[in-house]
Amino acid sequence: MALTISCPVCGKRNGYEFRYGGEDKGPRPDEKGLTPRTWCDYAHMNACVAGVQKEWWCHKNGCGVWFTIHRNTLTNLEVDGPEVTS
Amino acid sequence: MIQIKKRSPIHFKAGIEKTEERGRWTVVLAYKDEGPGPYLVDLSHKTRWDLQDKNLSGFNPLGREVPVAPGACHLQDGTLIYRMNRTQAVIWQLNAAAAEMPGESAYTNVSDVSVGLALFGRNALAVVEKLCALDFHDPRQKPPFLLQGPFSHIPCHLVLMERGQGHDGALLLTCSRGYADSMAHAILDAGDEFGLRAAGEQRFNDWLERLSGHQRQVDR
Repeated sequence: MALTISCPVCGKRNGYEFRYGGEDKGPRPDEKGLTPRTWCDYAHMNACVAGVQKEWWCHKNGCGVWFTIHRNTLTNLEVDGPEVTS
Repeated sequence: MIQIKKRSPIHFKAGIEKTEERGRWTVVLAYKDEGPGPYLVDLSHKTRWDLQDKNLSGFNPLGREVPVAPGACHLQDGTLIYRMNRTQAVIWQLNAAAAEMPGESAYTNVSDVSVGLALFGRNALAVVEKLCALDFHDPRQKPPFLLQGPFSHIPCHLVLMERGQGHDGALLLTCSRGYADSMAHAILDAGDEFGLRAAGEQRFNDWLERLSGHQRQVDR
């Protein structure tokens, strides 16, 4: 399936121009009281949603901006607008 | 005292007709048998500054404003300024005389880490279409404008300077210096069917002068 991704700077482009940055897991957990188990879960465990998930992408062959999109993993289609984060 | 020579990463096979010593560079002004166009010109000796700051509107490189929108370009008196994203812009001095870089830490001279090429003339955009999937014919975009993306599979800054009849036009591109010879080879090979030849800086200067004159008329 051909994937297109909307970069907030460059617009809609071929998915091959981008690098996948993983699921968006929210903010880094607070270091106060952080256990190895909690950190390991944050760093390595994924929800692997069959449906719409929020995820990070980098336009590595273009402007280099990191941003999040919502993608339906069943259809491999972007379903929501991007958010500029850097 | 040792005089360090600067060398372009591009080596065209065409025979050199005329050169000029400019600072530490030996600049090729003309190659033999350049033909009627399109032309590919090595711009690696042209000075390029990277400007990076969270507040770019506070800078006036060479007395000019930095474009606000990513992708926007300003060409004035032979200096091209283009905006890449929220925090970065490039100042590319396409005229012969390079100014001294401002002392602020936001500026970085990136001339030596990149390669610069100009592809212009008859059917130049037909050559571009063979190597790049980006849309340079988008009627919503008025030249000059910047696209950042793969050209011959290499991440590049691509500035469409001019769009003429059919596939006539002009494109400036930069990429990492290490890709220089492969990039030049790929472009010349793709442009072979259109008569693309390597050309010297004089050909580029003539074209830039004509473009600037045309732009001045439009601005009036």
